[in-house]
Amino acid sequence: MSLLLLLLAAPAEATEITLWHAWRGEERTVLEAVTADYQAAHPGDHIELVFVPYESLASKVEAAVPRGNGPDLFIFAHEKLSDWASNGVVLPVGPLAETDRLHLALAGPLRPDDPAGWRPLGKPVYQSDSPNLFIPEDHDAYGWPLATKCLALFYNRALVPTPPATTDDLLALAASLRDDPIHPTRWGFAWEATSAYQNAPWMHGFGGGVFDADAQVRIDRAENRAAFDFIQQLSALGPAETSGSLVTQLFNEGKVAMVPNGPWFLGEIEPKERGGPDFAVAPLPTVSSTGLKAAPYMTLEVLFLARASHGNNPGTPEQEALARDYAAYLQSTEVARRRAIEGRQIVPHVVIDDPVLTAFQTASESAVAMPTIPAMAQTWEPLARAFRRLVRGAATPEQAAAEAQTTWTIVSRPEAPTVDGRPYAAVLAAGLLAAAGWLIHKAYSLRVWRHWREYLWIAPGGLAVALLVIAPFLVGASVSLFEVAGSASDGTWRFIGFQHFLDILLDRDFPLSDPSTRALSFWYTLAVTIVWTVANVVLHVGIGVFLAMMLREPWVKLRGFFRAALILPWAIPNYITALAWKSMFHQQFGAINAVLALLGIPPVSWFASWSTAFAANVATNTWLGFPFMMVVTLGALQSIPREVEEAAEMDGASGWQRFRLVTLPMLKPALLPAVILGSVWTFNMFNVIYLVSGGEPDGSTDILVSQAYRWAFTRGHRYGYGAAYAVIIFGVMLVQSRVLNRLAGKKVV
Amino acid sequence: MATLSFRGVQKTYGKVQVLHRVDLEVSDGEFIALVGPSGCGKSTLLRCVAGLEEITGGDLLIGDRKVNDVAPKDRDVAMVFQSYALYPHLTVRENMAFALRLIKHPETDTRVDEAAEMLGLTPLLARLPKELSGGQRQRVAMGRAIVRRPKVFLFDEPLSNLDAALRQQVRVELRRRHQLLRTTTLYVTHDQVEALTLADRIVVLNGGVVQQVGTPDELYFDPANKFVAGFIGSPSMNFLNHVGPDVLGVRPNDVLIEPVAAEWQIPGEVEFVERLGFEAMVHLRIGEGPRAETLMARVEGEAPTAGDRVKVRFARSYRFEKVTGARMRTGEGASR
Repeated sequence: MSLLLLLLAAPAEATEITLWHAWRGEERTVLEAVTADYQAAHPGDHIELVFVPYESLASKVEAAVPRGNGPDLFIFAHEKLSDWASNGVVLPVGPLAETDRLHLALAGPLRPDDPAGWRPLGKPVYQSDSPNLFIPEDHDAYGWPLATKCLALFYNRALVPTPPATTDDLLALAASLRDDPIHPTRWGFAWEATSAYQNAPWMHGFGGGVFDADAQVRIDRAENRAAFDFIQQLSALGPAETSGSLVTQLFNEGKVAMVPNGPWFLGEIEPKERGGPDFAVAPLPTVSSTGLKAAPYMTLEVLFLARASHGNNPGTPEQEALARDYAAYLQSTEVARRRAIEGRQIVPHVVIDDPVLTAFQTASESAVAMPTIPAMAQTWEPLARAFRRLVRGAATPEQAAAEAQTTWTIVSRPEAPTVDGRPYAAVLAAGLLAAAGWLIHKAYSLRVWRHWREYLWIAPGGLAVALLVIAPFLVGASVSLFEVAGSASDGTWRFIGFQHFLDILLDRDFPLSDPSTRALSFWYTLAVTIVWTVANVVLHVGIGVFLAMMLREPWVKLRGFFRAALILPWAIPNYITALAWKSMFHQQFGAINAVLALLGIPPVSWFASWSTAFAANVATNTWLGFPFMMVVTLGALQSIPREVEEAAEMDGASGWQRFRLVTLPMLKPALLPAVILGSVWTFNMFNVIYLVSGGEPDGSTDILVSQAYRWAFTRGHRYGYGAAYAVIIFGVMLVQSRVLNRLAGKKVV
Repeated sequence: MATLSFRGVQKTYGKVQVLHRVDLEVSDGEFIALVGPSGCGKSTLLRCVAGLEEITGGDLLIGDRKVNDVAPKDRDVAMVFQSYALYPHLTVRENMAFALRLIKHPETDTRVDEAAEMLGLTPLLARLPKELSGGQRQRVAMGRAIVRRPKVFLFDEPLSNLDAALRQQVRVELRRRHQLLRTTTLYVTHDQVEALTLADRIVVLNGGVVQQVGTPDELYFDPANKFVAGFIGSPSMNFLNHVGPDVLGVRPNDVLIEPVAAEWQIPGEVEFVERLGFEAMVHLRIGEGPRAETLMARVEGEAPTAGDRVKVRFARSYRFEKVTGARMRTGEGASR
């Protein structure tokens, strides 16, 4: 009895808080260890640690916290603070000075009426003179910074005895370490030359950057042009078409002497005993012409206080007090040391004797905190596009900088004005009334009430379709009538009517006539999509039918084996295939250019021109698509009596005539639905476009779905615009299926 | 029109020999039926003539031309398949015109119209095969062969998918048409009635070996061996093993049941009787103990009833060698 009382009483007295984090490996181990220590010192309090994968943590927080189901504390990068603070997902934790233990701070908007909204936030205090950063003395801070992440220079000690101190040293080393200027197999320096994040150090080092002193985006200026020129020089000395995984692989194989990378790279380097490089880490070099450090972006790992732990929400004052005390504990020098030593975290103010961590600490001293304002999110793609053109020599530094600025202007063009929603609401109401009237009329004429038992049987299915298909579709479609949080600086939905549709269909922002931005135009993308669909379906059917006919020939040995082998491409998840083909099309290391080299054909830079990039996409998707057509054809061939073909043979038809006049017409009933399905799949084949060409060159091989994706997620979160694209795609598909049904002469889709 | 010569034709699939040295001379305009039980090789032989199967030994001549290695389309033979093998996506006219259109024959339409008229297909020319009855499909298949005016017609059990009444009707039409066209014809069937009524000569095949070639009368009245004797004629011949040293073959209509005592009578007992209207099949048992045998008699008019003791006499009988089944012409008699 007393035990029962104890059990009942216990929850009321103990204070329990939940912490969500995405730390793994050593970081997670140390977090669990120090938390256990904390609890041992505070009996009765309980801190529940919940691991959430990094990719889903932010969206889970955004979904759960407003509904009161979220954690009390969570650890995440600082980048999304702007949204979270304005949406009230996270709470201020106090005046800046109090939280400044790590010499790192994060603050709210400078002025509530500031039209630019959120400014770049947070910085290490010991960096005094970056024009992009502000520390408002009188402002609340959001969250407790725990650790930093930024780029530093990893170098192979066998090849580089002392790391380069300046960019001139770096260029000289990159040139001297390359073993052969024509057919190199080893390089001095490699990085993701088309990544805005990886190039930010050079822009900062040459005195430039994305934002000017007034926090306005100004890419096209002299400092950035100088940085672009340096990037072009440096990339010419490195391997072609560098991706993150390629750089990692080359460094591990000792084929690249130096790479810039973050602390996460430590886990990707092969250990020395397994043949990995003998590496060391140093800060990035100083830019020779300016004397400034090449300053990478820095991301802060921040412990955030979620709104749920405060005031009106489920959280109690005791819970908030515990959360604050625990946060102070995690930040304390003693625990920070453990996090640095045991968890391999970069904690700037902790002095420890570890060359790698010390190098990162030094690097983060001159780093620039990643800005959090929405304008930043809109610069990634314009910059990446400029770097791609720069690196493959399609643009001079001047052109690239100017183009980046132009593209940014397009991407960040003003939002559509709010319109009065009442006329729309009236029309909608009238439409709903009419629909309701029609439904009731239908119900009467079908005498639904007499069959209510039968309708009960289909109700679960109908409900599922309504919830899983119709409702999401309607929500998605209605988003297209709004400018939505993420693009709007105040984070609300504004009704704008059919403005997005007009913008898209009338090509208002990037007319077809302008070749530099044409690839963003809807009609251009639609044309590419149609060519893409037709080319693929023709090849899928052609190859599929040809192989199926071959597999029937009695002289083909091992038919069972071939049948199984040829279906394999279909059985493998398509993104894996797409990634494999992407690497096969690599200019320097790809299998396809290697085969061409055997034939004496010079290497092709597949993603540098529209036709080759498009061909690469089509080749990949054909590989993925022909097995389906082959299987359908094999099945259909089973049902064609051999005697009919023999009859044609007796009637004097040649092999080709037999196929064209007899077999193919008989395959038609089975092939047509397959062709229609295949064209629908191909029309929306996001994975191949996104993973193989990635829209290269310059978005010209994007199809409608990948374009919609980019508008929604990589060009500053214009969800409304993206949703309008999706609705238009739906419309196009609807028309397409009608047309194909007409062609088929019956209802297939 | 042409003659057709098989000279030692053989066909093997891997190690299995399905045709053993077939020798046969078909004269111009002759109607030859190939009969035999399932798997005897008759369809294979037909397909060898069509060119759909390659022969693995011997020579095959159409006219004077050796066609061993000639492609089907160059042999100038037409085939009517058991399933008819009509082109399902083409109309009756297009089906019949198919071969001629391939060579852009100038008389395509007239020939199709003629054939359609002859076969009564004129009102159906615009229809698809699926809109036709079985008999109509069969005629389209025939028409498709006729319009080509080939040297040789090949028929692979063309009537087996028809019902009994229709089969008899089409059989008569076939016979009439052959008398009209006089095209050399090879006709595969497992139905001996078709073979006996249609063919000028019949080839009996068993296990890939030709058992006998002859006119219907020759085969019926003068079978070369026990197999032919048993295969031709319905109901089949009775074989008695214990009457005499050899196998004695007696057709049911040669079994006479005599109520009165006479010479050469064998006592027997009626087991049961199948009545078929004007005639009856009487199943008899003769002999005693281990030497007891059953035989069937075909009786017109009044028949005995089960359990009756009767005397049996044979109007005509055949003798076959016990082991090989070869015909032994000595000692056969009109009665015994």
